[in-house]
Amino acid sequence: MTDSADLIERASAAYRALADLAETVEDEWQYVTDLGDAYLPSIEALAGGTAPLPAGAVAAVDEAIAEIGLITDPHKAIDWLSTFPHVVALALGGDVDEETEPAEGADDAGPELPAPDEGSPFRVLRRPDR
Amino acid sequence: MRFQDAARDARAVVYAGIQADPLVARVATLLADATPAERWMARAVMNGERTDPEVWRRIFPSLFGEGLVGEGPAGETRGRAERLLAASLDVANRGEQARSQYRGAVVEELTAQLLARRGGPVRRERRVLFDGVPAEIHPYDVTVESPAGPEVYDCKWGARGINADVLNQLDDARAHAADEEIELAVALVVFDARRSAEIRLDRSTARRDRTRLVALETIDELGEGHP
Repeated sequence: MTDSADLIERASAAYRALADLAETVEDEWQYVTDLGDAYLPSIEALAGGTAPLPAGAVAAVDEAIAEIGLITDPHKAIDWLSTFPHVVALALGGDVDEETEPAEGADDAGPELPAPDEGSPFRVLRRPDR
Repeated sequence: MRFQDAARDARAVVYAGIQADPLVARVATLLADATPAERWMARAVMNGERTDPEVWRRIFPSLFGEGLVGEGPAGETRGRAERLLAASLDVANRGEQARSQYRGAVVEELTAQLLARRGGPVRRERRVLFDGVPAEIHPYDVTVESPAGPEVYDCKWGARGINADVLNQLDDARAHAADEEIELAVALVVFDARRSAEIRLDRSTARRDRTRLVALETIDELGEGHP
């Protein structure tokens, strides 16, 4: 696995955990789900290239992952569901503002990926028809 | 149609104190000349858990990387980012309760500063009154009170702040103005990603087809001519 793919896997896992926290705000469940549906594939698509990562990118994304890992307030988590993808994209020199289809074979990503949570709003992303 | 100062209740008086804090103007002034990457940094810092500047320098290597030193353009870029980081941390250090009010005040001040670049009469916390129509309780955050092309703006720190009440108030004002044959421009300024704001709007059934959306990536548009 490339550094980029490994890094994005960590970022995606952190984003899913953030969404799990955010969705405990019941009134905002739909918005949280919609943000995840939009941004998670965009984050995953940042791993696509084979070009070397920009200087400091790994430390930047890992530090951003650590930052959102500190959040315990679900309302703050909602704010970061919008912010975190852009912070990661800036570190990697990518873009998360375009619609992105989930990568081919996303269902076969390997055993080290966290198991899909049937209660997660992102389980729909793992359906083959998307 | 006419504009009027909003009546000040106790909450408004407290908020006015925050709006008048020099820190708000300082952050807004820096944001007005910032790049999109710097604005994302400021948003992240003001939303952040940690207040150690080194953490944020590591998260944004394109703004604080090792090559960004010296007296040339690279050093100037770094210096601008450092000033914005310091100001954003000052907001973050105000504590959880206060910082959300500061953030809202910053977006309003930023909007006002950018609109003022066009030279129009920019005002804050104003209501709009129409003949025969009960006045809205909530004032508009920012107004441009040009007789030739009046404008009203509602400002939000995050896309989550968009709701039906806000959208309806903006569109109602536009419609009532149209009844008086006045073209009132109405807009929502969101210091968040356009994509997130559009996601929020997509679920709303409130009428918004005549309401302009200004997001973090496009906020410079406010200073660039009449909408």
